[in-house]
Amino acid sequence: MIHWREIGIDRMMVRKNIGQSSLLFVFLAIALFAFGWVRVWVVKLLDMGQFQTIIEQFRDYEKFAPVSFDALFTYTGRVGMTFDEPMVILCTVIWCVARGSDVVSGELGRGTMEMLLSQPISRARFLLSHALVSSVGLLLLCLLLWAGMTVGIETTTLTETVPPPSMRVPFLGFELPLTNDEPVEISFPMRERVDTETYTASVFHLFAFGFFLLGISTCFSSFDRYRWRTIGAVMTVYVIQLVMFGLGKAAESLAWLQSLSFFNCYRPQKMTGLVRDGDLWSPWSLSTPITEGMYPPLYYPGLLLFFGVVLYIIAIVRFQQRDLPAPL
Amino acid sequence: MPLSSQSRTVASSADLPLPASIVATSQLTKCYGDFEALKQCTLDVSEGEIFGLLGPNGAGKTTLIRLLLGYLHVTSGSCRVAGFDPEEDSVAVRARVAYLPGDARLPRHMRGRGVLEFFSQMHPQGNLSRALEVAERLELDLSRRVAFMSTGMRQKLALAVVFGPRTPLLILDEPTANLDPTVRGEVLKLVLAEREAGRTVMFSSHVLSEIEQTCDRVAFLRKGELARKLVMEDLFQRHRLTAWLPDTGAPTNDTDDLRNEVPEELSSRIERYQVGPSGPHGRNVCIDTAGDLAPTLGWIASLNLEHVRIEPLGLHSVYESVHLGRGDQDPDWAHAPGSMPATPGVSS
Repeated sequence: MIHWREIGIDRMMVRKNIGQSSLLFVFLAIALFAFGWVRVWVVKLLDMGQFQTIIEQFRDYEKFAPVSFDALFTYTGRVGMTFDEPMVILCTVIWCVARGSDVVSGELGRGTMEMLLSQPISRARFLLSHALVSSVGLLLLCLLLWAGMTVGIETTTLTETVPPPSMRVPFLGFELPLTNDEPVEISFPMRERVDTETYTASVFHLFAFGFFLLGISTCFSSFDRYRWRTIGAVMTVYVIQLVMFGLGKAAESLAWLQSLSFFNCYRPQKMTGLVRDGDLWSPWSLSTPITEGMYPPLYYPGLLLFFGVVLYIIAIVRFQQRDLPAPL
Repeated sequence: MPLSSQSRTVASSADLPLPASIVATSQLTKCYGDFEALKQCTLDVSEGEIFGLLGPNGAGKTTLIRLLLGYLHVTSGSCRVAGFDPEEDSVAVRARVAYLPGDARLPRHMRGRGVLEFFSQMHPQGNLSRALEVAERLELDLSRRVAFMSTGMRQKLALAVVFGPRTPLLILDEPTANLDPTVRGEVLKLVLAEREAGRTVMFSSHVLSEIEQTCDRVAFLRKGELARKLVMEDLFQRHRLTAWLPDTGAPTNDTDDLRNEVPEELSSRIERYQVGPSGPHGRNVCIDTAGDLAPTLGWIASLNLEHVRIEPLGLHSVYESVHLGRGDQDPDWAHAPGSMPATPGVSS
């Protein structure tokens, strides 16, 4: 049974964790919101026709792209690329690694663990209060990116050039204009072509990706007493996983490496494609595979969340079992 | 076992029945791999007393405290604090204990007042007004952020945090470190006031005078072992008399142990009676007494000594004896009525 006083302790721990992370959160929130907005606005700068011509030149490298090039020839697909932008990934990684690594090794390194744990709070609750603030913060950051994209979608006006009607001459392979009219430019709001709700599943994927990173950072932190070493260890795992994912995509013989990388579970653009080709509920299926040979769409973020929870459980067990060293 | 074979007749505080123990350890041991940080430590702290922990750096004082609070897991042995085993329910222990770490560090992003509010709400026995009162008494500026406070200010803030909750047990690990003499005195007054209020205090310090001023009992740790336990009241009854005995015979370089010349009724009160080699003023005399000094004064007067000086035997000499590893072998302290061996079940 949880007593009222214990809730008070949890409340104070949550307040303290919010206070500690608020500045980082504010900076990342501004960055993600602004980036989401600007990234959508940038879509209008590139004429769809020109963009298609450019992308077609890189067809040989399509396998390295997180989504098929054809998906990029739509406004929905191009806006959906936001979730694979390094800026978005970087901000998410910064939040998750910074907060996750702080739980145990951060408090130990600063020497504040001693005073905090002198209060009647169990180590599990201590860690979970931190996890709560970090997870809610992550969710808010994902939603803020989405909000920025929504503002961008609602405020951006697109311009397209419509060429005069023409017909392709059989065998000769060239276009023959049917009139002498000039190409016509038409403008329309982006929201007519792009629905914000399309990205619900992508936002969920970003959250699941971040939650896994929070879990691994927290787990490493619970084993360590130096935060810098925890961050180094997490980034080493991150880079190794990224290299495995890249190698798996690059070489057919190493394709199996992909399935060992958690990046394989981060598929926001696939989700965008599912919504575009199906309906809003398509990415939330646990029974219908995405394509032949793949698992159902909810399986991938589910795996990230599952392993995130497993890593949190390992962190709690380790934290409870270990001796807490005196401050250096 | 220096005391096990010693039968003492002087009534000492160690013989008096003690109140219930708030802290009790039995054969408590903590190992880090092959290194034994604390070896089979058995002690008890009674309710309402101030209990001092003394020992050089690395003696195991902080290890003992951290085991009591559940920061460290016990290798072998057992301990109970306020009726709870920290291994099983450290939260219940910490609900009944206010602890000041040796190096107290507080959340740097908070202001002084915020820290007091935070900790007073964290602890079930928290009392903000009391913590604010202590902070004011220590002349602490609470408007500053912790990050911008000096080491001494942070220590004062930590003290205000710890003196806030009305827990039955207060554990202070070097509470006066980094404080100026005025504030040190104020802290010692606070510690004494806690005892007056019925709380128990465990007090670790390197400053022997502080221990002498405040503690009721003291335990000496050395290299992870509980080397000696001492009742301060008995220590205060110990005196050393030095004087000159005018030469009456031929000069000598010998030191004579004259304890067998002590009257039978005073033998239990005279720890040492030595007469040294001849010097310019005669032979040097050293007499150590234990217990009430009054009954021995008549006999001392009959010795016709000159340049008599009597001084209390302070904690320093005990500390040195333990620190130098002569604790069990030192004849002076092996005979001390207030001193008890570290081995459980054996008392003077």
